[in-house]
Amino acid sequence: MVSEDVLRTHLQELRRGTVVVASLVALRRPDYGYALLQRLSDHGFPVDANTLYPLLRRLEDQGLLTSEWNTEESRPRKFYRTSDEGESMLNRLLDDLAAVQTSITGLIQGVDR
Amino acid sequence: MNTLTDRYLAATLRSVPTQRRDEIASELRASIEDMVEDRTGGGQDATAAEREVLTELGNPDLLAARYADRRLQLIGPTYYLVWLRLLKLLLSFIPALVGTIVAIVDVADGKGFGAIGPAIVVAMQVAVQIAFWLTLTFALIDRSQTTAGLPEWTVDQLPDVPAHRGVSLADTIASVAMLVLTIGYLPFQHYQSWVHETDGRNIPILDPALWSFWLPALMVVLLATAVFEIVKYRIGHWSWRLFGVKALLSLAFSLPLTWLALSDRLLNPALGDRLSWLADGDNRNTLGAAIAVGTAVILVWDLIDTSTKTRRRTA
Repeated sequence: MVSEDVLRTHLQELRRGTVVVASLVALRRPDYGYALLQRLSDHGFPVDANTLYPLLRRLEDQGLLTSEWNTEESRPRKFYRTSDEGESMLNRLLDDLAAVQTSITGLIQGVDR
Repeated sequence: MNTLTDRYLAATLRSVPTQRRDEIASELRASIEDMVEDRTGGGQDATAAEREVLTELGNPDLLAARYADRRLQLIGPTYYLVWLRLLKLLLSFIPALVGTIVAIVDVADGKGFGAIGPAIVVAMQVAVQIAFWLTLTFALIDRSQTTAGLPEWTVDQLPDVPAHRGVSLADTIASVAMLVLTIGYLPFQHYQSWVHETDGRNIPILDPALWSFWLPALMVVLLATAVFEIVKYRIGHWSWRLFGVKALLSLAFSLPLTWLALSDRLLNPALGDRLSWLADGDNRNTLGAAIAVGTAVILVWDLIDTSTKTRRRTA
């Protein structure tokens, strides 16, 4: 029986990079922090708020996201959107994710045979 | 305006870079309000919801560190191993060296055995200083953005598989140092002991008559033992031949010492003039017997210890 702690650590490691990919995909449609958090979580990417908010700022600093303040609603919110640069990096990341999936599939079949 | 949210924001913003503080504040406040609103919309009490949200966001220092992309470690993996190696290297000899120098200087000042205490204190202070300044330096290097050009590890750095399994360098150094100190003490006590004549002249502890033969002989035996320790280290492990030589050397030192102590020829008779306790013949005999027994116990213990090591090695 694998201990819960060990399992959690490995799952965390596995999920770590996918949050960036998921955010870049989701922000093709502009959104603000908490709404993005909920969307990600609805699609099976549960992220901690204290991870996601700083991450958005970091991606913005790296030029992968652009942002705009929206003051029309009840409270001012900062909307993020995936930039062109972010889009091209996202494509590289998605290719790599697909490659990982292909490799794993190939490996599983190879072992099974 | 001193709600939990205000306090949380203040605590978080304290340690994020100033130029982005206002923007992070507005965004984080909006996010917190969004989160609280979402919970109160589900029928939860506003105060409880606020507590829950802030608890979920966690320690503000941690959140601020994530915003500032700051590392939460003193010395990261890039420098940790270099730091550790340097620390071990410096601590392996500098405190002992400084302590020894202090002890020698104090002894030269005539403080005798009282010099050991201050020397140990100084050695410990030196060790703490080394650890502190080295760690501080590395913590600063770790925080500077530039990566110092650390030499890459190569296979050539692999140490030899230790050949000296049975005999460690530290033990050898300690033994030789003790022997050298003892050799040095024999002439030293002749000029500098803790007992003085009424006119201030020094009274040697050991009988000066022994200089005609026994003390030089004991010094030669001790010197031979020091040479033996070095040879033993070079060979690297115990053998029955080494055990034999060691036993001979130990006996060559212990037997004369015991015999001199038991026949009341070891201590300077002049000591009795100054220390009334030693003037009494019975007391002198008791002291002589104690020295003899102590020497014998050390001898036997040493031989048992050495034979155990030898048997383990040759088994």
